[in-house]
Amino acid sequence: MNPLIFTTILMTVLLGTMIVMMSSHWLMIWIGFEMNLLAIIPILMKKYNPRTMEASTKYFLTQATASMLLMMAIIINLMHSGQWTITKVFNPTASIIMTSALAMKLGLTPFHFWVPEVTQGISLTSGLILLTWQKLAPMSILYQISPSINLNILLTMAVLSILVGGWGGLNQTQLRKIMAYSSIAHMGWMTAVLVYNPTLTMLNMLIYIMMTLTMFMLFIHSSSTTTLSLSHTWNKTPLTTTLILITLLSMGGLPPLSGFMPKWMIIQELTKNSSIILPTLMAIMALLNLYFYMRLTYSTSLTMFPSTNNMKMKWQFETKRITLLPPLIVMSSLLLPLTPMLSILD
Amino acid sequence: MMTYIVFILSVIFVVSFVGFSSKPSPIYGGLVLIVSGGVGCGIIMSFGGSFLGLMVFLIYLGGMLVVFGYTTAMATEQYPEVWVSNTTVMGVFLLGLLMEVMLVLYVLKSEEVGVVFKFSGVGDWAIYDTGDSGVFSEEIMGVAALYSYGAWVVIVTGWSLLVGVLVILEVTRGD
Repeated sequence: MNPLIFTTILMTVLLGTMIVMMSSHWLMIWIGFEMNLLAIIPILMKKYNPRTMEASTKYFLTQATASMLLMMAIIINLMHSGQWTITKVFNPTASIIMTSALAMKLGLTPFHFWVPEVTQGISLTSGLILLTWQKLAPMSILYQISPSINLNILLTMAVLSILVGGWGGLNQTQLRKIMAYSSIAHMGWMTAVLVYNPTLTMLNMLIYIMMTLTMFMLFIHSSSTTTLSLSHTWNKTPLTTTLILITLLSMGGLPPLSGFMPKWMIIQELTKNSSIILPTLMAIMALLNLYFYMRLTYSTSLTMFPSTNNMKMKWQFETKRITLLPPLIVMSSLLLPLTPMLSILD
Repeated sequence: MMTYIVFILSVIFVVSFVGFSSKPSPIYGGLVLIVSGGVGCGIIMSFGGSFLGLMVFLIYLGGMLVVFGYTTAMATEQYPEVWVSNTTVMGVFLLGLLMEVMLVLYVLKSEEVGVVFKFSGVGDWAIYDTGDSGVFSEEIMGVAALYSYGAWVVIVTGWSLLVGVLVILEVTRGD
C-alpha cells in the first residue's frame, strides 16, 4: 500500500478511537465508531487474498450492525431524556440495547462468533491492532455508562464469555485463533467487574493489552502462525522460548507474574460485594484458558519438540527488528509487586 | 390532513426504504431512493426547513444519486431483478410492508400501546408550531450553528468523507 495513504488510514483509526473516547455528544461517539470501522477495513485487507476479504467483510458486517444498534439506543435515550450528553443512559431499554451493541463490538458472548474467524483470516499485525486497539473504544463507552448498565445481562455475558473463551480455545492449533479466544475470555473478566469497580476494568484492559502486544510481537518475530511452527523456536531463537513461556503463563494468570494482578483484584472486588459463587466459577473457568496456554508452552519451551532433521539445521537469516519487545516483556511479567500503587488510579 | 402530513410522509418513507432494502437490482433501488429522498425532503419541509429540503434534492438526488445511476447503468445486467421476479426479494418486500402496516395500525388504532415504546396515538407525529425565535427560522439558525459552534463536526465529517474515498480506492484497487 502507498505509504502515505497507509499512514493516513492508520491515523484515522487512531482519530476514530480518540473521538469516541473524548466526545460528550452521543452522535460524535457514533461518528467516531464509524470512522474507526471504515478506516480499519483496508488495514485488515493488507494482503489481497480471499481469506482477508472474507474476514474484513465479516468484521464490517458485525461492527456495522453493532453501530446501528448503538444508534438506536442513542435515539431511544434521546426520546426519553431529551438531551445528547453522555452521562448515564436514562431508559432501561436503551441501556440493554446499548450494552448489547457494545458487547457485539467487543466480542462478548453471545456475539463472539466473529472474533476467531476474523482474527484467523488477517495477518498477524492486523490481528494485533484488531485485538488490542479496537477494544479501547467500546470499553471506554462501557466505562462511561457503567452506572446504568443492567447487571444481569452484563454478568451473564461476562461469565459466558469466560466459559466460551476457555472452552473454545481448547481445540485450536492456530495461534491467531488461540489469541482470539483468549481475547474473548479476557473481555469477559473485564466486563464482569465493570459495574462494581470500573477502575479494575481499566487495569485489566491495560495489562491485557500489554500481554497481548507481547505475544503478538513474539509471534511476528518468529513469523509463526501455528503451534507447529512456534514449536521450532528452540532452533531459531532459543531465548524467545523462555519469553513465550513467561508471557503465556502471565496471560494464564499465574501468581508471581503481572497477569495475576487483574484477576486477583477482580476476585477481591467481587467478594467484597458478597458474590462468592461467581468469582469461584470465573476462576475455575480461567483454568481452561491456562490449559491451552500450558499446551503452547509445553510444545514450545518445555520440550525440544520433535521435527524433521532438516528443520534442525536452519539458515540464520538476518534478525528481524523487534519493536519494543524487552520493555513489553518486563511489563507483562514483572508488574505484580506494583499492586499497592493501584490506589493512584482512582 | 395537514396535521397528519408528517405521519403519512414517514409511512411512505419507510415503505420506500423497504423497497430498496429488499434488494432488487440497483437501478430499481435508485428509483425507490429518489422517491424516498423526495418524501424525506417533504418531511423536513413540513417542519419549516426549506433550505435543508432543497439541499436533499440538489446534492443528494441531483448529485450523488445521478452519479450512482450512471455508474450502475454502466455495470447493469441484461435482465435486472424487479421486486416480483425473485421470490426472496418479493418475500422480503412483503414482509417489510406487513410490518409497516402493523406498526401503522398500532399507532392509529390503539390509544396507549405500551409494547416497548409508548405510542400515545399520533401524538408525537403531528406537527405543532415548534419554538419561535423571532425573526429567523430555526433551520437557518441550525445551519449557521453548524458552521460556527459545530466546526468540529464539520471537520470530523469532512475528514471521514476524505478517508472514505481513500479507503474505497484502497479496497477496490486489488493487487
